[in-house]
Amino acid sequence: MHDKTQSLLLRWAAFFLFIQSTILTLSPAVRERTWDVDYRFAHWAGLLVWAVLMTAAHRATIKYLPERDPYLLPSAALLSGWGMLTIWRLDEEFGIRQSIWLGVCIIIFILALYAQQKIILFLRRYKYILLSGGLLITALTLLFGTNPLGIGPRLWLGCCGVYFQPSEPLKLLLVIYLSAYLADHVNIHLSSLPLLVPTLVVTGLALLLLLVQHDLGTASIFVSIFTIAIFLYTGKRRVLLSAALFLISTLIIGYFWVAIIHIRVDGWINPWADPSGKSYQIVQSLLAVANGGIIGRGIGIGSPLLVPVAISDFIFAAIAEEAGLIGTLGLLTLIWLILARGLTASLRAPDRFRRNLAAGIVTYLGSQSILIIGGNLRLLPLTGVTLPFVSYGGSSLLTSFAALFLLLSISNVEDNEPAPIENSTPYALLAGILSTGLMALALTSAWWAIVRAPDLLNRTDNPRRSIIDRYVPRGELLDRNNQPINITEGESGNYERAYLYPDLASVTGYTHIVYGQAGAEAALDDYLRGLQGNPPSLVWLDHLLYGTPPPGLDVRLSLSLALQSKADQLLGGHTGAIILINAETGEILVMASHPTYDPNRLSEEGAALAQNQSAPLMNRATQGLYPIGTTMLPLIRAKFGESQPTDAELNLYYQKLGLFQEPALNLPVAYDTTNKTVEKLKVSPLQLALAAALLSHDGIIPAPRFATAVNTPEQGWVVLSTKGKPIEILPPEMANTAAQSFIKPGKSYWNHVGQASLEDNITTWLLAGTLPDWKGAPLGLVVTLEENNTFLANYIGDTLLNAALNQ
Amino acid sequence: MSGAIILAMRLLLAFALYGFLGWALWTLWRDIQKQGAALANRRIPGIHLTIRHGQNTPFQKKFNQPEITLGRDPGCDIPLTDDTVSTRHAQLTYHHNQWWLEDLSSTNGTLLNQITITMPTVLTAGDEIQCGDTRLIINLSTNTLVSPTQRLEKRT
Repeated sequence: MHDKTQSLLLRWAAFFLFIQSTILTLSPAVRERTWDVDYRFAHWAGLLVWAVLMTAAHRATIKYLPERDPYLLPSAALLSGWGMLTIWRLDEEFGIRQSIWLGVCIIIFILALYAQQKIILFLRRYKYILLSGGLLITALTLLFGTNPLGIGPRLWLGCCGVYFQPSEPLKLLLVIYLSAYLADHVNIHLSSLPLLVPTLVVTGLALLLLLVQHDLGTASIFVSIFTIAIFLYTGKRRVLLSAALFLISTLIIGYFWVAIIHIRVDGWINPWADPSGKSYQIVQSLLAVANGGIIGRGIGIGSPLLVPVAISDFIFAAIAEEAGLIGTLGLLTLIWLILARGLTASLRAPDRFRRNLAAGIVTYLGSQSILIIGGNLRLLPLTGVTLPFVSYGGSSLLTSFAALFLLLSISNVEDNEPAPIENSTPYALLAGILSTGLMALALTSAWWAIVRAPDLLNRTDNPRRSIIDRYVPRGELLDRNNQPINITEGESGNYERAYLYPDLASVTGYTHIVYGQAGAEAALDDYLRGLQGNPPSLVWLDHLLYGTPPPGLDVRLSLSLALQSKADQLLGGHTGAIILINAETGEILVMASHPTYDPNRLSEEGAALAQNQSAPLMNRATQGLYPIGTTMLPLIRAKFGESQPTDAELNLYYQKLGLFQEPALNLPVAYDTTNKTVEKLKVSPLQLALAAALLSHDGIIPAPRFATAVNTPEQGWVVLSTKGKPIEILPPEMANTAAQSFIKPGKSYWNHVGQASLEDNITTWLLAGTLPDWKGAPLGLVVTLEENNTFLANYIGDTLLNAALNQ
Repeated sequence: MSGAIILAMRLLLAFALYGFLGWALWTLWRDIQKQGAALANRRIPGIHLTIRHGQNTPFQKKFNQPEITLGRDPGCDIPLTDDTVSTRHAQLTYHHNQWWLEDLSSTNGTLLNQITITMPTVLTAGDEIQCGDTRLIINLSTNTLVSPTQRLEKRT
């Protein structure tokens, strides 16, 4: 019966791992959305090792432990196989190492089964030697300790490429020592010296060692093991209470005195304060859990490598991203099953030593799992311990399998008469505590994966967006004649943004893996990324199947590249902005801002650009704010004629012209939020271009348009609506009269040059536009120069308007 | 296309994981059921006690339960009105196919056939237990344990 159950469960585990491996093999095809990819096969070697050795282990347990618990081995086999495949997926080199370690562990496990009766007696007899040996070896790390990664706490002893972390088996040695000591000394009262002195001294020594090493995770597991052992022995709840108080007070003292605790606690309480620095790990872990959602992305299809040390400390986050909430709930249930069966074995144990030992192992496995998963999920402060059976690491895996071996041999009782128990309540309470802990982890997983996921994934520091951009083509930005401006080049897996017209950089912006997005690329991101404009069902389906949005949509801008290049030529090395606008439709034909930069070279120059004094990243046409001075004359003349308006009248008029408001344009824009008076007001070239357009179009301010249409797969080019509406400011006659009075001699347009100065900086403005009787499309023009240069302003205006009118 | 195939496999993966867990929990539940049934079928041989306190008329009591406590406490299975008996004095339990006598740290101790017992001791028919001034004579029923015959499990 037992053998049949164990064999069937092992087959389920093998089935699970087989499907997992198949998905991993095919995953590159899903990522790149083509069958023509390099498939992944290496991990099948690991699965083969698992299958062969687990079959051998199964046979050996049948032979040597006929009455063992049939649930422990399959659960541990599933967990260790799952962990190994996850490590293969993350890093093939570590996959090989983990497969070798797993093989070594199972072989040692099988060899131990031969001598299992003797081992238990040996452990009980030589408890002091074992623990002192463990402490001594751990102490050696203080002198000879290294870290395989080169940085971080030096907790390993290493030689010839093999590293060993003595604090891992030390946990098990402490469990053995406490179990044996408490089994040898029956009926001692709590607070009596024989109980507390030897156990406290030994545990304290171990704690001290770990504190010196800054191995805080292991130290807290030691405290839990000691506390639960004493609690189970005495049955006094005040043991638990004082241990909890001890841990909390240590945490508070450590917060003020120990740098690493300070960092960890800060990152726990408020990770959002420093998401790219001290709490980078935890934020990335939560993003991974959120990206997993309910069903997960599928192994090999998510981006768990973004989480630091995903193979060991953060393997739970990696599993959560690719297996989803369904997977993590299954994982937690597996851990629960091992703990529950372990406690059952403890209660059925024929003697006190075995009972204590099983309960201690359950405490060790349970507290370590809860500690690290809780750390991954921000339920507990982060501590660097491994997830038993799952995480990468030879020492951790070896300790986990030693624990499994002990639990299995303790569960192997033929006589159905367990040792008597004085008080069973502590055992029930321990089961309750561990189950509550796992339940809390399940609820927290669901919280991040479902409730908080949308907010988390939309964070700009979610690197998955940039990674997706490499696999899904981003829509193109086109000019009004469908000439490409920003396009996507390359093949799936290597898509890159190319900027064909770099002079437009400060207007159309960029999308970059490090520097994020700017300009139109940021404003139109939802279309370019395919999240908007595609049918919602397609967006949903692509997310389900591939974890990405559908291919992006092309967006047509109102810009005319022919005129734009003329404007950029004219502005040249001068600092300033030009806007040419269709006064009737509000379409922006030219938007130039200088100095500019080359977005194709952003990776090399990005950091320097952000520091650059002349602010090339800013779009001066929409975000530059300049004093207006005498520039408003044509507009004032249109409203008030020759009379002098009061400040209040002028203020009201400017308000109607929209100079105090944010222009309704789907681009990053700025307006003066501090100065509310007419003399001090600063405006952007865009604001002024919109206001001046009324002189060329019957007193009406048009609603500005920049992105005009989007190319949807179902309906072709769809016109995008404007954010604002045209506003009638003046009767047509008044506007026309004013325009006529500023007519440029010999030309078919009006213009006006104004200047303003602020703190020795002179701004030169040119306002111009077509005349009311112009038969073609009415145009409005604004030139802004950050220098005293009326000649250049006039020259730009004449040349550009001539070009535009003679098109 | 690849996405749809993999989605089907991802669902199959979840099925495998929960198949494992479901199977484990189902066999566990079946185990509990079987164990319950086995315990319900377990027969305990009855025990007759002849109880005599001082010069009072002895009386007989028969029990069919696995645990019998005796003491001054009226909640005990055999309540004794004897000032030399502790509140919960001693306990008779049936396990390992035997009746056992165990002293519950009583003040005056429990004697079996005139000898004070310090550990759980097996009882046989005719044994005499003394708690304070009260004496109990054991008389075991002759019917032995009978449990329903079970089908042999195939060992694979």
